[in-house]
Amino acid sequence: MSRIAINGVSMSSLRRSQDVRRLGAWVLGALILAVMTGPSGTTTSPTAGFTGSLLHPRVLGYLAFGLVMWALSTARVRSRDRVHSATRGVQQLREKLLGDNRVRHGTYLVLLVLAILVPTQLNSFWQEVLVDQIGVFVLLAVGLNVVVGYAGLLDLGYIAFYAIGAYSAAYWTGALPVHPVFHLNPFYVIPLAILAAVVAGVILGVPTLRLRGDYLAIVTLGFGEIISIVATNLSSVTGGAQGIIGIPHFSVHLSSFHYQWGLSNLPYYYLLLGFVVIVLVAFRSLENSRVGRALAAIREDEVAAEASGVGVLKYKVMAFAIGASTSGFAGLLFASKISFVAPGDFTVQLSILILVLVTFGGMGSLPGAVLGAAVLQWAPEYLRNHPILGFQQQDLYIYLGALLVVMMIFRPSGIWPSRRRRRELALAEEGVGTADAMSGSSDPAAGPG
Amino acid sequence: MCIIHPFWSLLVSGLSDGFLYALIALGYTLVYGVLQLINFAHSEVFMSGGFAGYFILNRTIGSHTPHGLDSVLMVVLGTVGGAVFGGLVAFGLERAAYRPLRRRNAPRIAFLISAIGASYFLYNLAGKEFGRDAVSIKAPFNLDGNAFRLFGAQVQTYQVVVAVAAIVMLVGLDRMVAVTRLGKGIRAVAQDADTASLMGVNIDRVISQTFVIGGLLGGAAGFLFGLNYGVVYTMGFTPGLKAFTAAVLGGIGNIRGAVVGGLVLGLVENFGSACIQTSWRDVIAFGILVAVLIIRPTGLLGERLGRSA
Amino acid sequence: MHSRLGGFAPRAPRSAIKAAAVLGVAAIALAACGSSSKSTSSTTSSSSGPSYTIAYEGPLSGGNAQLGLNMKYAVQLAIQQANAGKTFGKLPFTLKFTTQDDQGSATQSPTAAQALINDSSVVAVVGPAFSGATKAAEPFFHEANLATVSPSATDPGLATQGWTNFFRVVADDNAQGPADADYIVKKLGDKTVYSVDDASAYASGLVATFDTAAQSAGATVTHETAPGTTQCQAGTGNVQQYGALAQKIKAANPSAVFYAGYYCDFALLAKAVRGAGYSGQLASDDGSLDPHYIVQAGASVAEGTIASCACGDITQVPAGASFVSAFKKLAGFAVGTYSAESYDATNTIIDVMKGLGKNITRAAIVTALHSVNYQGITKDVQFQSNGNISGTAVYIYQVKNGSFVQLGLVSQLVGS
Repeated sequence: MSRIAINGVSMSSLRRSQDVRRLGAWVLGALILAVMTGPSGTTTSPTAGFTGSLLHPRVLGYLAFGLVMWALSTARVRSRDRVHSATRGVQQLREKLLGDNRVRHGTYLVLLVLAILVPTQLNSFWQEVLVDQIGVFVLLAVGLNVVVGYAGLLDLGYIAFYAIGAYSAAYWTGALPVHPVFHLNPFYVIPLAILAAVVAGVILGVPTLRLRGDYLAIVTLGFGEIISIVATNLSSVTGGAQGIIGIPHFSVHLSSFHYQWGLSNLPYYYLLLGFVVIVLVAFRSLENSRVGRALAAIREDEVAAEASGVGVLKYKVMAFAIGASTSGFAGLLFASKISFVAPGDFTVQLSILILVLVTFGGMGSLPGAVLGAAVLQWAPEYLRNHPILGFQQQDLYIYLGALLVVMMIFRPSGIWPSRRRRRELALAEEGVGTADAMSGSSDPAAGPG
Repeated sequence: MCIIHPFWSLLVSGLSDGFLYALIALGYTLVYGVLQLINFAHSEVFMSGGFAGYFILNRTIGSHTPHGLDSVLMVVLGTVGGAVFGGLVAFGLERAAYRPLRRRNAPRIAFLISAIGASYFLYNLAGKEFGRDAVSIKAPFNLDGNAFRLFGAQVQTYQVVVAVAAIVMLVGLDRMVAVTRLGKGIRAVAQDADTASLMGVNIDRVISQTFVIGGLLGGAAGFLFGLNYGVVYTMGFTPGLKAFTAAVLGGIGNIRGAVVGGLVLGLVENFGSACIQTSWRDVIAFGILVAVLIIRPTGLLGERLGRSA
Repeated sequence: MHSRLGGFAPRAPRSAIKAAAVLGVAAIALAACGSSSKSTSSTTSSSSGPSYTIAYEGPLSGGNAQLGLNMKYAVQLAIQQANAGKTFGKLPFTLKFTTQDDQGSATQSPTAAQALINDSSVVAVVGPAFSGATKAAEPFFHEANLATVSPSATDPGLATQGWTNFFRVVADDNAQGPADADYIVKKLGDKTVYSVDDASAYASGLVATFDTAAQSAGATVTHETAPGTTQCQAGTGNVQQYGALAQKIKAANPSAVFYAGYYCDFALLAKAVRGAGYSGQLASDDGSLDPHYIVQAGASVAEGTIASCACGDITQVPAGASFVSAFKKLAGFAVGTYSAESYDATNTIIDVMKGLGKNITRAAIVTALHSVNYQGITKDVQFQSNGNISGTAVYIYQVKNGSFVQLGLVSQLVGS
């Protein structure tokens, strides 16, 4: 009897200390948020940003917000089980709807029709955003999703393949200082650009994918730098740092029918939409194919997969190369769209941006990658000129960095998770499987040398 | 040919660069030892140390460059200040970006992504708050001065300071890991975390302390680096990448390996870029990284923190 | 019971941090309360009449943000002063200011351009700042016949694309590189030159024209590319590269070192070569003509360094001196690279608008800019038909007693 009482006391005191700790976290978070969104300091007054955001009445608003959130979260923790059952209802409804093929296909059809009709109503700025910022990045995100989501590999040099695609476009259309034997229309360069990206992916992937996954991250990071250094240094081949102008637009010449894409955005949008739909359909079937199942097996338990005869290295290289080819394809499209390519545009930051898009949307989830890219590429364009919500563009990566951490802590499966992925994460949390392919097929400690 | 004439000068600058790489590389190696993860945000710990040193010294030093004992005191003050702040940032980093994931047994990729996010958050926030232009730390001694000549090569006072500070910290760390209770804890967790936990080692505390130790060294390195090259929010990126290369080169997880790797990388870069165009210099470093990973993934001295001491 | 406690404990921090992090998600929503500056700011004005917008397009985020801010505040200042009637007297219209961030990148600039083209109140653009961004955006500006006056894009190729709406108030690389070579080789008599560029689009173009001109003037040129460093946000290079480069320069012992690039990296290089014991002439371009160079390199290292610029000494004209102090007041930092050019570009546009009076259209401004003659603080602004600035007189500056002092026109210095 007395033991229970003691336990009861310690339980409630534990709960109290938990509440206090959560309060501390909310307050700290509110203060960080106040600084993030507050005014900037300068080199001569490095404390101005802090004092301007913390010793200013606005901080009270943030603290109030923190307290409200603390109260809400405390209430939520207290009634965790009830909330769970409430959300489960919504969850089940969603599963049921998405599980129904007719509903799902109907939804896709409606979305496609919207994607075709809505852009005609937009002004040229939003059309440009739709092509340059959203369309191209949807393609990139969907491709990186194969590497990060399907195969669970971290590729931080993803943009290097984009560069390879862009320079392929410049080379085969005759824009580079070195000329090919014959000049091609960008349409015919597509297979060549994809091939170049795949070859680069395989050359990089075969030696490094045998290693532990976090080595892959750093090697790809280095590879991204090397590609941009090479493009800058070999100016007699690539045009150097000043870049190459005059890459031709896409065009179609079929006997008497001639069409040339140009400055106008809508034609490019529809071209891109067509390609995105093709890629999405292809990746959807990839997901359900032998390759997709093998990748899932590797992700869930690499050792078991290898033991049951799955060629782990082969499938990893395949996923890496598929991602690379998509990136190369996007590079070709964009180079032709803006008629210009320069090494300075292929930065690590861009690779990180695409990673943010994929993790935000949901690693391993096709609709997630599309949604993540669309939302996160649209939001800054919309917000930065917003009269109230306007933020300073140079602070964008503060928000994106924080977003990555927050997503990893609270919703690692993204805003639109794939069902499989969510199950894997749940299993991993219980200690079953790894939910990624980061352990490497040969442990270096036991490996060669 | 190209390395014969300035041989001693290149040796000196190679060692000086190498000691800085070694200090940063230790942060990667220690964390890797206990968590088997690359701490992508370590470069921001380095940056924090640079800013801390800048704020402290620019408040303390007047309009005249200190001399004699004052110089030594200022260097120590800046190094300790940089180290303490680096340690604090590393501590916060572990709490915010690592521990919640560890509690949940999250996949490794989640840790890496979370660390990358933390890195972007921290350095861009530093840029917002402290301005985006490089600032110079007020010199605690004559930075352009030469200490002595080594076979005709001038050895700058700065290079001596870096070497002395680094050697003091490296020896201290080595002894700490070998002798103290905390060192034993770190080695135990590195060898087998589960068993260590069963033996009564508080894993959370050891991991947290490991981050702090790595942060101390990284922060101190940030100050020493900033002393010569200036302090700016982007300063961590390239040295971080190079130091990681150094850690892999020596055998990640191996403390002495990180030191050897740092020195070797510093020397190779300096002698290498004497013979080739500077623009290809970074390609050498990454080339070495890829080559080591493929030919000898365990690095020069082999892996495993637990076996190092 | 005990085991249940054990299972309970680890959750506490998680929910605590969870709390902290949901805050982060709410960041965007709460940014509303933030005091972040808005891109569009209508300045208080004593003028009345219709309002027109002059836009700035350049990097306001990313690695080159500081360079962009140097320009942005100069444009903003020119507009504020014009509205207040300080520079052009009372105007029959009100000017507004807007910015578009292209991050200095060709991938972002078409979007930025479209935003400006769509905004029908925008009648002229100062920018794009970078040559690459200009190449990608100019086709759109040209199609919309919207005048762009760049304060900083120096790639000679920009003037040969047939963009009739393209103007720039800086001399292109073809003017500056040979002038630098003339001065260093012919005037100073340096017959061995070590030229270094930072691998940026600007420097690699400039250094190519420099090398050719120096060689044809009879000098032996050793060229090396040392990528701009992350430290200076000018590339991906590592600052430690300058140690070994300095040894190479010392070993080669040229009589002059010419650096094409920006002050931040030049300061690091200057410190390294002096540290290595090299004592020859240090020279650079307008990217280094910035007081920050002297601060970052240190006065003793910087002393004697020469820098060229196709711009007059703004501290020598009264308008320039007052610009320097007004800029500092507005921006919170001192004028930097391309600030004065941006100020001139903006005032040139306003001058043209004043001349047009009530007939301001995009097309009218383009036409009028072709025949403008405006006395700016850096130079007399007149454009050639291809949009290049005419009269690309290059001046030489030298660090004397800790600040840059104008020595004179290259043509006169070399001739004498």
